[in-house]
Amino acid sequence: MMIDIKDLCITFGAGNHQIHAVRNANLQVAEGDSYGLVGESGSGKSTILRAMVGINARWTGSIEVDGNTLTPKRTVASRKHMQMVFQDPYGSLHPRRTVDDTLSEPLVIHKMDKREDRIIRILKEVGLGPEFRFRYPHQLSGGQRQRVAIARALILEPRVILLDEPTSALDVSVQAEILNLLSDLRKTHGLTYIMVSHDLAVVGHLCSKIAVMNRGEIIEEITEEQMRTGEVEHDYTRQLWTASHGYDRAALESFREFA
Amino acid sequence: MNEMFTTGLSSEPPTDEPLVSVRDLHVRFSTPKGPVHAVRGVSFDLGRERLGIVGESGSGKSQTGRALLRLTAGNGSINARKMVFDGLNLMRASEKTMRGIRGSRISMIMQDPKYSLNPVLTVGAQIAESCRRHENISKADAKKRALAMLETVRIREPEKVYNLYPHQVSGGMGQRIMIAMMLITNPQVMIADEPTSALDVTVQMQVLKLLDDMVRERGMGLVLISHDLQLVSSFCDRVLVMYGGRIMETLDAKNLDQAQHPYTKGLLNCLPRLDGTHDDLPVLKRDPAWLTEPEHADGGLS
Ligand SMILES: Nc1ncnc2c1ncn2[C@@H]1O[C@H](COP(=O)(O)OP(=O)(O)O)[C@@H](O)[C@H]1O
Ligand SMILES: Nc1ncnc2c1ncn2[C@@H]1O[C@H](COP(=O)(O)OP(=O)(O)O)[C@@H](O)[C@H]1O
Ligand SMILES: [Mg+2]
Ligand SMILES: [Mg+2]
Repeated sequence: MMIDIKDLCITFGAGNHQIHAVRNANLQVAEGDSYGLVGESGSGKSTILRAMVGINARWTGSIEVDGNTLTPKRTVASRKHMQMVFQDPYGSLHPRRTVDDTLSEPLVIHKMDKREDRIIRILKEVGLGPEFRFRYPHQLSGGQRQRVAIARALILEPRVILLDEPTSALDVSVQAEILNLLSDLRKTHGLTYIMVSHDLAVVGHLCSKIAVMNRGEIIEEITEEQMRTGEVEHDYTRQLWTASHGYDRAALESFREFA
Repeated sequence: MNEMFTTGLSSEPPTDEPLVSVRDLHVRFSTPKGPVHAVRGVSFDLGRERLGIVGESGSGKSQTGRALLRLTAGNGSINARKMVFDGLNLMRASEKTMRGIRGSRISMIMQDPKYSLNPVLTVGAQIAESCRRHENISKADAKKRALAMLETVRIREPEKVYNLYPHQVSGGMGQRIMIAMMLITNPQVMIADEPTSALDVTVQMQVLKLLDDMVRERGMGLVLISHDLQLVSSFCDRVLVMYGGRIMETLDAKNLDQAQHPYTKGLLNCLPRLDGTHDDLPVLKRDPAWLTEPEHADGGLS
């Protein structure tokens, strides 16, 4: 297993105000696979990814990546092999830094050589010509910014990339281009992905196995076949699946809250 | 631009007369970088129906909706051969008349409720005030109506939520509060600009049902603006597909699969499907001719 998470619990705050954002999550992802996490907002999807990359250190349980057990406090070297791409292509790039600055920074931190070569090569891989190298974020479209964010993750030659709603802020035509790019990159580099999205069809497109989260718990893991047929175990999953097919007044009658 | 003049308020029109009729609408902005022609000759009629406007960002959807209420920003100007609401010429109406229409006979729900709600008033007070502005009722009755409306939009603890300030509510709840505020005046026309884009799908559907009820039960005319072609076509009666400030195609929502225009087809094809494969998605190839083809701009109306 490339990723093996056992009994992961993540809380925020303390005492009466404590929030159990993730409860006893278990998941495994084989090398080269793409694993999806879906669920409504606040269900704990991002919190899992953030614990994995070490942004959040308050968790219990175990996270193993490529056979190494991760501790809540992460070393620089251990971060290199797992990179994250965020939803917001506007917020995740520094407005005063050129594409070149953005891509150089991780290379400097991780003391990697041949920086210029690497930057030119990675830009090409994400479909950006060399003319983009010295542009600022405001000179890029949303899709181009997301390509830069992907390049930044990829430039460290990681084994695992965690994708947090990578296309949610994009127009559908741009979303298609980015999904195709992500799919290509995974094949060429043998990458392992965990992709978070609230959009069942988007995760289903990229992933072969999908965990459904509700209020901090993984309630069910479904296959791509179940995604197609809707033959799922849990009522919550079925409701999510039904709602993802568009407006259906009759089906709405049976909708309920899942606490 | 020639304008067609219609005289002020007419008597109650027959019900098959459109509530809103727009012909050759243009919205232009002047900016430091030069003029921006955001809406380029849009024409449509709205009856007591659910009309969708879809298109990618920047295609002019919001500006089309805002023009109906003459809410175009200060650096912009509106032109139209005709823009009529219930017999009233919106191009000629005074600012005072427009203020009387906005939020009362034509309501608009904006995408981000945080900017539309007053931050220093509780949400309940805002809904009640909206009610009192349009009807002559006591404060106590307005509060009752506001609480009932919060329940209608499926807010679980209306009494508690009534006393919250806008910054204390989540995005989904904020959007439902906005809708409560807009519905309480019983408008004839509702323009809903991406009203559910920030919401979870199941909540999205429930919010759409509220709007659906208004169309079915009260004969409201609804313009639903969205980037989500699939959602809109599952919900609406008719769909206008916009690109570059123009209408590329007008479709009966149930005949989405018979879309003719390459832009509409391209938008549909590039969507991942629940029953799809992992193969690469077809990407949309844009044709500059779409911006000049005259026959599409007015949706077949002249
Ligand atoms: N830094 C934080 N402090 C307190 N609560 C948080 C923090 N980050 C997330 N949460 C809470 O944890 C829960 C899960 O959030 P999140 O993982 O962001 O959900 P998702 O990504 O599925 O939308 C939510 O209730 C959220 O409010
Ligand atoms: N105040 C303004 N000044 C200049 N251009 C504007 C202004 N408001 C909107 N626009 C432009 O008008 C076009 C259409 O915008 P809009 O109707 O908001 O698109 P949509 O809602 O379809 O995403 C865009 O190119 C936008 O940049
Ligand atoms: Mg999240
Ligand atoms: Mg808009």
